[in-house]
Amino acid sequence: MLLLQFFVTGVVTGCFLILATIGFSLTRRVEGFLNIAHAELLGVSAFTTWWLNAELGVHVIVAAVVAIAFTALVGLLIARVIYDPIRARGPAVLLITSTGVAFVLGGVIDGLIGTGIRTLQIGLAHRYEVFGIRITSHQLLMVVLAAATSVSLAVFLNRTRTGLAIRAMSANPSLAASRGVNLSATSRATWLLSSSLAGIAGVMLAVVATLTTDLAFAQILQILAVAILAGLGSLYAVIVSGLLVGIAMDVSAFWIPAGYRPLVAFAVVIVVLVFRPAGLAGTRAA
Amino acid sequence: MNWPQLLVTVVTLGGIFGVVTLALNLQYARGGMINFGIVAYFAIGAYVYAIVTQRGPIGLDQYRFGFDWPWWSGLILAGIAALLFAALTGWPTLRLRGEYLALTTFAFAEVLHSLLLNERRIGNGTVGLANVDRPFSDWGPIEEKYVFAAAAALLLVLTLLAFRRLLSSPYGRALDAIRDDETAALAVGKAAERLRREVFLISAIPVGVAGAVYAMYTTLAQPSLFTAEITFFVWIALVLGGERSLYGVVLGTLGLVLFEEVVRAWPFETVRSAQIAASAEHVLTGLVFIAVLRYQPFQRTVSRLRVAP
Repeated sequence: MLLLQFFVTGVVTGCFLILATIGFSLTRRVEGFLNIAHAELLGVSAFTTWWLNAELGVHVIVAAVVAIAFTALVGLLIARVIYDPIRARGPAVLLITSTGVAFVLGGVIDGLIGTGIRTLQIGLAHRYEVFGIRITSHQLLMVVLAAATSVSLAVFLNRTRTGLAIRAMSANPSLAASRGVNLSATSRATWLLSSSLAGIAGVMLAVVATLTTDLAFAQILQILAVAILAGLGSLYAVIVSGLLVGIAMDVSAFWIPAGYRPLVAFAVVIVVLVFRPAGLAGTRAA
Repeated sequence: MNWPQLLVTVVTLGGIFGVVTLALNLQYARGGMINFGIVAYFAIGAYVYAIVTQRGPIGLDQYRFGFDWPWWSGLILAGIAALLFAALTGWPTLRLRGEYLALTTFAFAEVLHSLLLNERRIGNGTVGLANVDRPFSDWGPIEEKYVFAAAAALLLVLTLLAFRRLLSSPYGRALDAIRDDETAALAVGKAAERLRREVFLISAIPVGVAGAVYAMYTTLAQPSLFTAEITFFVWIALVLGGERSLYGVVLGTLGLVLFEEVVRAWPFETVRSAQIAASAEHVLTGLVFIAVLRYQPFQRTVSRLRVAP
């Protein structure tokens, strides 16, 4: 029974990982590089929510919406000012640059917020119990939000013109351009989309966790684990691999100390890279 | 500000991290391998040195091994351990290229960090190993810190000379050929795969030794000293110095260490202002990093002056 409880917690962790990773994978797919600073965008969103909610007393839903919008703009700004001018240097330089961006964002957050732990001004989570399995309302919200986000992203990418343009650009930028896709507008839309996805994940992070300024950077490890397992750049596989990593981390706590959770995540990654280097989706997106 | 003390610190830390940057330079600029987990080899060196030289566990110590061997055996074993760890991690990862390699090495470093943090039997877990053996404490007239600075500088110079020798040999030219055009190099019979693996192994040795010296210097081997931040620090130093030049790499490291030490040595009135300064240091480092990658100022100077190799 306890094992089942760990499994359920793992599903919730997995849902958070899906939210956190899907924007990262979208960037990788369309823009072609690994944006290490994506995790810091989670921090931007989480602390904006916290500041509006706990310091200024804004209602948490309003605060969350403003924080997500703000994060989307920050993401777009970074992309235009820093990434776009060096795009021609290739993915390795962009990857290394993005660690510099992560440093800057992390430093700014650290300097503005300071040390100590922070929590949102929201009520304690309501606890439900089904057949002895406990789940809180916050955890349920996480699952619902992950499902809703995944579905609406899929609908957006498949049913709207902008979504179609994003997919065309990710498949073949020059062909897309020659067929009349506005590349810079599409790139802007992608950045707004992936950054607001980071924003949603950041809000959820603020809801379920006590915030410290180094929390955001710690997420990049798990985001990378999920993204590699899915195969870099694939979106639908993120859902499966997010759940897999989440469950593997939490269920492993049944047998070995919980401190080993990141180790489990990366052990999964190493095994996958050795036996199936292109990830679960199996398409090489190099 | 205490300038002589600052200078000694910069030489010591610059020497230690300069070695790591040189190794990274060999892997990245010559071998084309992005190692985002270089801190792991550094940490292995530090821990092996600490374990080999310390006494057996007493009292509250939870570690299992302490051999109480002399310091030089610790140094040698630190280098060997880093080599073995590179062989272990290189075997599954070096088939991968580019960002996949970057991510796997990153993952390996995190796994090692998590292991050292949680497994108390290796090195006391979070607490780490304190009072690591310092060999130069009984050298009579010369003060210990100067001996240390000299030792770190010596290590740096030795690594620099060894790498320069290696790179100007036919072996080094084969490496350059592979980097510039792998297909052509394969066509004339250079075993690209094997050469890359050798570079990966060779460059791990000085990193392990540098880790051992770092453990001596701090007298600590503790997981919190060996985080991904060291990896990023070394990468920033590498990019600062211009990745193609060995001397530039050393200058970049010294410059970065100097910058950090000046910020740290600044007298602050309150805890809050010191903390803001620490974050400002992060922001500035990041901005310099981004700017250097974008404008590559040193690259051009280096190629104009033809500072070989």
